[in-house]
Amino acid sequence: MAAAIRQPGWYRGAIGLVLGAAFGFGLVIALRAISGLDLFQTEQTGYPHVVVPLITAPFGFLFGFGAFDYWFRWAAGKPTIPEDHSGHGAYSWKDYFKFNTDHKVIGTQYVVTTLFFFLIGGLLALLMRAELAQPGAQIVAASTFNGLFSTHAVVMIFLFIIPVFAGLANYVLPLMIGAPDMAFPRLNALSFWLLPIAGLIFIGSFLAPGGAFDAGWTGYAPLSTGAPLGQSFFNIGVQFAGASSIATALNFLVTIITMRAPGMNLWRMPLLVWANLSTSLLVVGATPFVAGAQFMVFFDRILGMNFFNFLEGGDVISYQHIFWFYSHPAVYIMMLPGFGIISEIISTHARKPVFGYRLMALALIGIVVLSYSVWAHHMFVAGMFSWLRVPIMITTLLIAVPTGIKVFSWLGTLFYGKIHTYSTAMLFALAFIITFTVGGISGVMLGMIPIDIHVSDTYFVVAHIHFVLFGGSVFTIFAGIYHWFPKMTGRMYDERLGRIHFWGTVIGTWLAFVPMHWIGMDGMPRRVADYATQYGDWNLLISVSAFALGAVQLVFLYNMIVSWRFGPKAGNNPWRANSIEWQVTSPPPVFNFDEIPRVVGGPYEYGTPGARHAIMGGEDEGAEVPETKPSTVTAPS
Amino acid sequence: MVLAVLVLGVVQSVILLQFDWFGEAAATEAAPIDTMMDVTVVISSFIFAIVCVALGYALIKWRAKPGDESDGLPIHGNTKLEIIWTIIPVIIVLGLGGYSWAVLDDIEKTDENALHVNAYAQQFAWTFGYPEDGNKWSEGVLHVPVNRQVIFDLQAQDVIHSFWVPEWRIKKDAVPGLATDAVVTPDKEGTYQLVCAELCGIGHTTMRAYVIVESEEKYEAWLSKQTTEVPTSLLKTKDEYLEAEAKEQEESGGIEGSGVVEE
Amino acid sequence: MESASIAAHGHGHVDEHEHHGPPEAHQSARIDRTILGILLFILSEVMLFGAFFAAYFFLRVVADPASWPPEGFELPVLIAGINTAVLISSSFTVHYALEAIKHNNHRGLKLGLTATWLLGATFLFIQINEYIHIGFTPRDGAFGSIFFSLTGLHGAHVFVGLLLLTFANIRAYRGHFGPAQKDHLGVEVPGIYWHFVDIMWIIVFLAVYII
Ligand code: HEA
Ligand code: HEA
Ligand code: CUA
Ligand SMILES: [Cu+2]
Repeated sequence: MAAAIRQPGWYRGAIGLVLGAAFGFGLVIALRAISGLDLFQTEQTGYPHVVVPLITAPFGFLFGFGAFDYWFRWAAGKPTIPEDHSGHGAYSWKDYFKFNTDHKVIGTQYVVTTLFFFLIGGLLALLMRAELAQPGAQIVAASTFNGLFSTHAVVMIFLFIIPVFAGLANYVLPLMIGAPDMAFPRLNALSFWLLPIAGLIFIGSFLAPGGAFDAGWTGYAPLSTGAPLGQSFFNIGVQFAGASSIATALNFLVTIITMRAPGMNLWRMPLLVWANLSTSLLVVGATPFVAGAQFMVFFDRILGMNFFNFLEGGDVISYQHIFWFYSHPAVYIMMLPGFGIISEIISTHARKPVFGYRLMALALIGIVVLSYSVWAHHMFVAGMFSWLRVPIMITTLLIAVPTGIKVFSWLGTLFYGKIHTYSTAMLFALAFIITFTVGGISGVMLGMIPIDIHVSDTYFVVAHIHFVLFGGSVFTIFAGIYHWFPKMTGRMYDERLGRIHFWGTVIGTWLAFVPMHWIGMDGMPRRVADYATQYGDWNLLISVSAFALGAVQLVFLYNMIVSWRFGPKAGNNPWRANSIEWQVTSPPPVFNFDEIPRVVGGPYEYGTPGARHAIMGGEDEGAEVPETKPSTVTAPS
Repeated sequence: MVLAVLVLGVVQSVILLQFDWFGEAAATEAAPIDTMMDVTVVISSFIFAIVCVALGYALIKWRAKPGDESDGLPIHGNTKLEIIWTIIPVIIVLGLGGYSWAVLDDIEKTDENALHVNAYAQQFAWTFGYPEDGNKWSEGVLHVPVNRQVIFDLQAQDVIHSFWVPEWRIKKDAVPGLATDAVVTPDKEGTYQLVCAELCGIGHTTMRAYVIVESEEKYEAWLSKQTTEVPTSLLKTKDEYLEAEAKEQEESGGIEGSGVVEE
Repeated sequence: MESASIAAHGHGHVDEHEHHGPPEAHQSARIDRTILGILLFILSEVMLFGAFFAAYFFLRVVADPASWPPEGFELPVLIAGINTAVLISSSFTVHYALEAIKHNNHRGLKLGLTATWLLGATFLFIQINEYIHIGFTPRDGAFGSIFFSLTGLHGAHVFVGLLLLTFANIRAYRGHFGPAQKDHLGVEVPGIYWHFVDIMWIIVFLAVYII
């Protein structure tokens, strides 16, 4: 027992948690004593006795759990224990509950955890749909309803979409570029463990007096600065989730820049790698802004500062500028990795090189650059500087151009290919193109100021959100999970169940989210618990479809869980793909490679006889393999 | 293929144009916006048709036979095509942007003899003041004359709210500490609803007001019957707040603020 | 803590012992991983300051108060100026320490690191003193908020920098570090971070105290 307590792990973590909380609590008491305040007074939105331990306890846990052990030994100048690689690989399910530094284990941890949060977020949505099925109040009070859509969106965005992409890329990206692991494996593990912490904080806010945070996922001041305690949970949770995603992005950037296999120059990187490179640039540059915005709200709430209190010289609109300077790039943080996944899948299953590979990569970079210049399109009716609206409108509309390049290039990839649709991954990829186009076009409409003036803050926007995020991001996530499932588990999923899931999801998505456009344009505002009776029929349809959509996800879950245990062996390369991760065993060996592979050609050289992307270690011993030149076939016209 | 795109695009446009997307219109500002929506719907129909037809065509024509393990043609790209599908969208979106700008300018033009109405938003009610007439006020019901431009000067007392009458197509946030306005020319008599469109707390769902658009005479008659003035608690603009603030400070001799936003 | 983690990582990937493990990754860029890591981290830090400078811009320019700093706020520019000099000089000492270890001069390394640490601590000490005697609090108007947030955010970075320097000091006094780059990353990385903290201060100082 005593040994168990000294070893990093759950026991020590629990003790750390308690000590961390006690430390925070004591700190508040001590500071209050010094400044001569009542020790325990809590009659205020601040509740320092809850909020400060909420920050310190997770750190206590991480200390105990072993997140910092190595760094402390190093910092103290002690000899570091040579890595025994016990933190590598997973030999039983228990290893997934440890501070594991193996990128593949971390990738799996990410995907499983985030899917769990997807269910939570989905359940919150279903509660909301139950309330909205009919006009009038049904099952929840108005105050609870505000908490529902706020937590729904926050869980989906910060705990599902953003991190699940980080998880998929964690698994496959180092393999794809021929690296043995990520650049900073311990930081990688820390990034993962920050996530469940953020999740607990967000969901724990339901227990706070006054209920969960309910100012929307956007948390506009001054509604948020005056809100009850739950809002502080949001402020703090965002810091943990944000730190996690910044650390991961930094890790990706360094890994991609410094650890590519020999021969893999920029123009030989798979587009998934390009996509994560671009996404990481967005994360590193933009996420600090949401951290800043939440710090300011937090200071206003806890320390009585006046950033957003106009009576004391504060500026209300500044919150929105700072928030959207992150949160618009954030929507592309939630889309670009998906673009990468789609490129991989389409090219593999159409047996053709990605059409216009270089322009595809440049389009990603173009989106990154433009992303930073469009934040204020969320504020066309917010009363911001009126001169800023038209320039922002132009940049917003221009973003359709690089995005269009991507859509057309995927279509171009299909032409003259050999399109295989036996895989659910490919089905989702194809459906994604169509559904995302709808969401993108409604985005362009929102970008046009006169239209936005009418439909801003209506269900039209909600329809846009879900077409791009569900029909866009979530479809790509499903595609990615199906595509790499055989690689990650070594087993094959059931395609028949996959098809049921696919058709159910596609039909459910369209039925649930298309009518939202109509009721929105017709005058139904968003974020309301009740609405005029004339929208009742459509809302009923939406709710029924949403429940069907939720039910179909259970098929997906069943398929994944059962196939993971009992599915037929998949073989190393069931899709006959070229990129490096498919050239190793499924699942890959603990250290990925015995010898770093050598890259000799582009990643998508399908159809060129003898073309290779990479030469694996141990293969072609000594023989000189010629570098592959892309062939120059042009389309027959 | 081109034919298929045209057919699908036309069919979609025709079907989609049958709908009256934005519902009833009751302001002169609505017409250009509705026209713009129709134009956008048509353009979008064609873009969507291109994507659908291209995908469907490829799927029918190049779907692999079961068991076919060969690869497709190794085409890496086509510079001409790529330039085309970069330039054409640029032209389309710049066109849409210019069009939007023109419409925006059009709907925001203000008239010299426009009627000014103050709209005060607070959790969770709307009140209206008529400054031309001694700032008489009306709680929860807005009366305006038909066919005269009205400029709503929006003021929020606590958190952000948003002024929206769907039939007018005009929406603008009321922001604490900031003077914003919305310009509308109602051109149809009737009763409408004013909706608060920005999340403002528990009562956001029910924060509505009636809008009555009536003839000039009826409006004047109604106005002359109003007696109460806007309570001073609603009157303060930011500068007035700050002035009061400064006076208070002078009196108390410190810089400590006293005003607290309502919670 | 994130910065600590990155800095500490300098050692992570340099395997000091022979054992069966992953193959050494191919080095596909000239820059060292840890250095690139800290540079990217600094980029995100700059953006965090950027968020607060954005708020500063709104409070000062957009909200447009009658005067800036508003009436009744007095800033001790002279003391802050002296403090600035203290912090800037510490950039030179940390540079000196790095140059020393590059020439295998361990005495110079210790001297430089210790001096840097002391200068940094002095800066923090003066800053805290300034807070105590400044005569207004974070609750006093938007100016109080942005003043304490910007200088406090920066102070927190000085604190983190000091922590990193403490680690470097401990290891220097234990005789670690050597002239090869991979052997003195533990000095170089905190050094880069320290330079960033200095430069950031100059910007904060100019924005808050001077203009
Ligand atoms: C994955 C997430 C994602 C993505 C990718 C997008 C993509 C886009 N979004 Fe969206 N957006 C959100 C998530 C996303 N959005 C969310 C969550 C909100 C609500 C936030 C809140 O308030 O809660 C929002 C809100 C939002 C608004 C504010 C609405 C309001 O509140 O009033 C606007 C306004 O301009 C907008 C515009 C756009 C545009 C122009 C794009 C473009 O990038 C789309 C580009 C794509 C295409 C256009 C399709 C493919 C292109 C072609 C086939 C080429 C040809 C096309 C043309 C020539 C037009 N979005
Ligand atoms: C990635 C993002 C994402 C995703 C995937 C979703 C998914 C869904 N969303 Fe959400 N949504 C947002 C992001 C997202 N949403 C955002 C950003 C907002 C704006 C919030 C704001 O205004 O602040 C929003 C707002 C929003 C609203 C508007 C609220 C309002 O303005 O009043 C509605 C209303 O219908 C809604 C519905 C749904 C539905 C029905 C789904 C469905 O797709 C969900 C499908 C269901 C499941 C996936 C659940 C499956 C689980 C089960 C069936 C149970 C099994 C359980 C266990 C085994 C534990 N969402
Ligand atoms: Cu007022 Cu919503
Ligand atoms: Cu946006």
